[in-house]
Amino acid sequence: MFKTKIPKSIPLDKLYDKCQNDLNLKTITNVDLSKVQLKSQYIERPGLSLSGYLEGFNPKKMYVFGEIEINYLQDLHPNIRFQRLQLLITQATPVIIIANDLNPLKEIKELCKRHKVALWHSSKSAVEVFSVVTKILSDAFAPVVSCHGTLVEAFGVGVLIQGDSSIGKSEAALGLIERGHRLVSDDVVTIKRKEENVLVGEGPELTRHLLEIRGIGIINVAHLFGAVCISRTKKIDLIVKLEEWDDNHFYDRVGLEDKYCDVLGVKIIYHILPVKPGRDVSLLLETIVLNHRLKEMGYNSAKEFNAKLLKTIAQRQENRKKTIETVKRIKT
Amino acid sequence: MKLLKELKLKNCSGLHIRPATEIVKMLQNVQSQVFFTYKDQTVNAKSIISLLFLSAEKDAMIEVSVEGEDAEKVMSLLVEAFELGFGET
Repeated sequence: MFKTKIPKSIPLDKLYDKCQNDLNLKTITNVDLSKVQLKSQYIERPGLSLSGYLEGFNPKKMYVFGEIEINYLQDLHPNIRFQRLQLLITQATPVIIIANDLNPLKEIKELCKRHKVALWHSSKSAVEVFSVVTKILSDAFAPVVSCHGTLVEAFGVGVLIQGDSSIGKSEAALGLIERGHRLVSDDVVTIKRKEENVLVGEGPELTRHLLEIRGIGIINVAHLFGAVCISRTKKIDLIVKLEEWDDNHFYDRVGLEDKYCDVLGVKIIYHILPVKPGRDVSLLLETIVLNHRLKEMGYNSAKEFNAKLLKTIAQRQENRKKTIETVKRIKT
Repeated sequence: MKLLKELKLKNCSGLHIRPATEIVKMLQNVQSQVFFTYKDQTVNAKSIISLLFLSAEKDAMIEVSVEGEDAEKVMSLLVEAFELGFGET
């Protein structure tokens, strides 16, 4: 894994471009959005701040004015209205969104112009603005790490194949594609933490769907095998590290306990898969995935077998006891 | 041993397939781990696709990190190759 990047700010034009269509946005003030940096991923409604209560008010957040806010402001005396809005709209404010197709009050327009604050107008409801913007911002502010590996989707499970160069990651991916699974990215995988414990991987635009196979060269699997064998992003469920077979290393022979590795603070199940001629890596990867799915469904082959074994042993011990007691009884 | 150096990409077409192949060929049998960082993106220099992903242009300053027993030898090979523009002008 390479260095983790946590975006501290994003340019406002990026947000505008992403939500313009969904929210039917229009700009009211003439501000160069590429020069405004959004430093908070949270969006809020002004709420009580409009009444002059500013405890916990963060001027760096973006604010959405809905029907309630505008109605409340309209009920206020013009002087008080301007005074309250002055406290809210400052140079630090990145953007104000007026929802519900409402007319922005002239005081809001004036203050936004004065402080060069972006003022947007949306025909959608404040709740819709909230949900669309929150989704975009949580994605834009998510921690990201890039790593060397190959991300595939097999039986619906996202598997990140790691290992040294020339260990056979791309060949394993090719084998999986041939068996009807999907490639997300080869060699460079960008991992984003979405929500608390979900990791989503994707490939860079430039090298997306390319595989480099030694002896053949660079191939585009989307063109060779069709669109069915590619996927743009995938949640990472498993990490499998391919390693040269080492006779001195003791590999997991039973699979009773899962090993985990930490990626961006999320625990992901981790397997080490030794590679040597004759071992069909694609088949082994498929087996790991199927076994993982079985475990997710509550069936652990190794544990189930162990439980059965313990039961058999206990039964035998019981039988042995009974036999000894019977022999003793006969003797006496 | 870990060595870090900023090297300038001198060949006119930048880091395209041919120079990337030269780098990978050069690093094929070296022990050290080699990473290139450009525009905040770090990649494994032993992989062609990773190198191409950087899409580094002429005069780009690439941060080269070499870690391993043969780091010194590998770094000097890389410095020379960058200097010669990977055989391109």
